[in-house]
Amino acid sequence: MKNLFSNVWFRCITALLLIACVAGGLLAILNDVLYVSPAERTARAVKKIYGVEKVIEDQDIILDVDSEDSSKNTAIEYDGVGKITKIFKVDGENGDFDLLFQSTGYEGYKGGTITVWVLVSYNSGANPSIEKVILESYEKQTLMSKLGGDFYSKFELTDVTTAYQEGKHFAPTDGDNVILNPITGATKSANAGCNAVNCILKYVGEN
Amino acid sequence: MKVNVKKIATDGVIANNPTLKLVLGTCPTLALTTLAMNGIGMGAAVTFVLICSNVLISLLRNFIPKQVRIPAFVLIIATFVTIVRLLLDKLLPDIYESLGLYLPLIVVNCIILARAESFASKNGVVASALDGLFMGIGFTLALTLMGAVREVLGNGTIFGLKLWNFQIAFFASSAGAFFTYAVFIAMFSFISAIVSKKQKRTAYAKTLTALETNVSTIEKTTEEI
Repeated sequence: MKNLFSNVWFRCITALLLIACVAGGLLAILNDVLYVSPAERTARAVKKIYGVEKVIEDQDIILDVDSEDSSKNTAIEYDGVGKITKIFKVDGENGDFDLLFQSTGYEGYKGGTITVWVLVSYNSGANPSIEKVILESYEKQTLMSKLGGDFYSKFELTDVTTAYQEGKHFAPTDGDNVILNPITGATKSANAGCNAVNCILKYVGEN
Repeated sequence: MKVNVKKIATDGVIANNPTLKLVLGTCPTLALTTLAMNGIGMGAAVTFVLICSNVLISLLRNFIPKQVRIPAFVLIIATFVTIVRLLLDKLLPDIYESLGLYLPLIVVNCIILARAESFASKNGVVASALDGLFMGIGFTLALTLMGAVREVLGNGTIFGLKLWNFQIAFFASSAGAFFTYAVFIAMFSFISAIVSKKQKRTAYAKTLTALETNVSTIEKTTEEI
């Protein structure tokens, strides 16, 4: 037994295990204390879009996968394209209102996804239009394929109804019905970004 | 053991500045200095990790076997980097977002591992904490200055405030980052060389004066004899 305690490898493994256990315990506690809830993330996104804090009331939630209400927490899935995970109604002036969508586009780099927030404005006397698109998060997209703010700004001011009726489909390469031409290397990521917005075109066009 | 604060401070901020003298932590230096605010954010995060990891490594220096010191250091550093990430995500989400990928990459930042290996594992807790603090300040200053220059020239702003509409896009690009870094290193080396020359001259003059005094004392003594 004495030999075991004085063994170099035993001491090495013990030291590493102890450090790992203490660090793991500390991080587990801090992860709980500093947890950012989905509601907090949504509030941040709303502030980023509008520039001011806006409270989303329960009656303004059309869809929220994090909601406990089973009638509102089922994502709208579009096969091979993406899914819509949140829809909030934000009232404006003179009966105008906005719909704020959180959607995830599939088929990105390495089969990853891109999740964005899309603001669609419903102004009286005009077709609904995309006002803003901002990045929420991404999975499996590398630094090389990460898309900048310029990419998302290209979707803005799209007349959604007309685009849907014309069968417009955003895609990252040149061709018909395409408005984007991202830099090489980002094409696969751009595909997921476009798909996230295509979900909104389909939803708004169909409803 | 007495801690030489002045030497540690001068070493960290000027003599052994991690960015401009030791050329460590180049990746975030080049990538994040598009804005001065990014420099402050990254610098603060690195300083926090440096101080905490230095203190803990110094405390555990007799407990960690030499054979596994590097994995142990990386474990400790990774823990503090994760804490910084959690704190920034909760309290300063804008800075967390702007630092992006480079925040977790602090784990493999050469400055932190180098200070853990060359200083904290050989010195006391107070000295290690001060070393972390001043090395962090040196890193922050270098990043913020570079960020300010690139922001003013590349964006026409400083800390987000508009100065003018004149912009040189080159300074906001990757090539601009390399160019600015090279200019900063060259200027730093030039100023260091001048200061070092001046210090040598002063030391030489002092030695000469001392020698002259000695000679005159010897002459006086000889005359007296």
